Amino acid sequence: MMAALSMESFEFAHPWLLLLAPLAVLPLLRRRRDALTFSWLAWLPPDPWGRAAGFLWRALAVLAIASIVLALAGPGRPEVQVPRTGYGAEILVLIDRSRSMDTRMLPSDWRSIDPLNRLYHLGRGPQKALVARELLTEFVRERPDDRFAVMFFSTRPIEVVPFTERADVVQAGVAAGGVGRGLSDTAVGRALIAAAEKFNDRAYSGSRIILLVSDGGGHLDDRTQRRIAAALERNRIALYWIYLRSYNSPQLSNPEDVGNEMSPELALHRFFQTLRTPYRVYEAEMEEDFARAVADVGRQQNFPLDYFETLPRKDYSLHCIAAAALCCALLLAYRLATLRRWS
Amino acid sequence: MTQMSGPQEFHYRLPRRVRGWRPGFHPGSDVGAGQEFVAHQRLFDWPDPRRLDLRASLQNLHGDWLVRVHRQRASVTVYAIVDVSASMQFGARASKLHLAADFVEALGRSAGQIGDALGMLAFDAAERHDLFVPASLSRGIGTVMGGMLRDCAGAAGSVRGLQETALRLSGRSALVFIVSDFHWSLEGLGAVLDLLAQAYVVPIILWDRAEIRPPDANGLLAVRDAESGAQRTLWMRPGLRERWAAAVERRRDALERICQAREIRPFYLDGALDCDALSQYFLEASA
Repeated sequence: MMAALSMESFEFAHPWLLLLAPLAVLPLLRRRRDALTFSWLAWLPPDPWGRAAGFLWRALAVLAIASIVLALAGPGRPEVQVPRTGYGAEILVLIDRSRSMDTRMLPSDWRSIDPLNRLYHLGRGPQKALVARELLTEFVRERPDDRFAVMFFSTRPIEVVPFTERADVVQAGVAAGGVGRGLSDTAVGRALIAAAEKFNDRAYSGSRIILLVSDGGGHLDDRTQRRIAAALERNRIALYWIYLRSYNSPQLSNPEDVGNEMSPELALHRFFQTLRTPYRVYEAEMEEDFARAVADVGRQQNFPLDYFETLPRKDYSLHCIAAAALCCALLLAYRLATLRRWS
Repeated sequence: MTQMSGPQEFHYRLPRRVRGWRPGFHPGSDVGAGQEFVAHQRLFDWPDPRRLDLRASLQNLHGDWLVRVHRQRASVTVYAIVDVSASMQFGARASKLHLAADFVEALGRSAGQIGDALGMLAFDAAERHDLFVPASLSRGIGTVMGGMLRDCAGAAGSVRGLQETALRLSGRSALVFIVSDFHWSLEGLGAVLDLLAQAYVVPIILWDRAEIRPPDANGLLAVRDAESGAQRTLWMRPGLRERWAAAVERRRDALERICQAREIRPFYLDGALDCDALSQYFLEASA
């Protein structure tokens, strides 16, 4: 579709300058000034190489003038609106990089373990950050149509990868989270605002998702809450929270969990529930839960979306100038190789 | 090469007898006041008592008075047929036409020395009547002709022009110099030389150094034909230089073959007028 489009729509910024195009015939009409007069050409031996060189000289001169005229006229593809169907979503993966993510997940059989011995078995589970990285890498690989951005946050948001379709870059960005140890704080509010603002000034081309992967929450003040809500609504972003529950953390699905009413996770969950934009939470205690949650997100965001994309005007005059410069350089070389006088 | 200091002239004497009543320098066929003894005649038949040969008369059995009869040296009319076609304007240092003018001037002095009348005819594609100079004994005629040649411009040359011009001289006993570079098809040249069979013809072949010796430097050479204006590009390299020299040799051979068939020996002039060589040429011809 793109090829057909660029073929049919071609325009000149200053088409009237094409009136100069007949100037390109000048090298064919004119007698060569650098030619030496000889008494009788029929006497000279035939020289096909020389004739080729002479032809080349004229061709280069014609080409140089034509390219310059063309460059002056300013060829280019005009600005167009292209209808597109987007299958992919724009997914910003917001990963918690706090120190708590370095702790381990619960082993998959934790429910069957005797509660008295459970604490000893907690160390058997895989590291949260590691699981998150592996599964997200897998997620990215399976969704080639999507555009991903990766952001880490701890005390403050760190942009790792801007929106891109290149899966390898995204995967590298996700893998970069494995370097070093996390920090102590979890500033969810600032991270969410920064993530939501990443969508500013981007053409709406498909569903937009912030995939928050975190094991902790935070109390947000009113101002931050309003800003987050406004930013999500303005940019039409759905929020998915994959909550990696630690052993002692509150269960979001069970708000009556005794003694945890004031926990930051629950506060964050309650705030998210008040959002007018779509919101889902996945509680993941074990690696399998996490995998299920990621797969669920993938299923939910597979709707095609029609939209218009504005392609800016593309200017080709630089190519013409480059061609003219090349021709002139070759002509100069030709001139240097030409004998200017007899003997 | 001789220096261009002072007026140049060369010496020429025709190797064959010329008809002509005007006394001159060349061996003539008429009898008269000369050194060359022909025969004895009776005084009655040849009433010239100054040449009475007493010894021969005494030996004569008939008792006649015998008179010595001599052949007198004759002068010959000299014509220069000059090619003024555009190719003659070519020349790396001086144009060939200037060289032709130098030659005509030297010829004027040389002919004046020995009392030969000199005339000029010129041609390019056809006969150039504006450059015609009738044969004259006037002393400064060579300079006038040289001046005319130096100022003239010509079109493309052809053997047709030479033929038209030669027709005017056909059947005359004269010394004819054909001053040209012969840069046209040689097909009709034999016929033209046959037209001038009565005359003693000396083709002066004017070739510039730049024509017969390709440039030494390698590189591209854009050339334009002086007559047709056609352009060509040559890539000067050792192989092409050899072929260039071979083409010059072929041309020389072709000219020599046409001339040799008519017992004509061409004289080559390249670069500068060498009068000593011209004198040498005529000396060899008479020997």
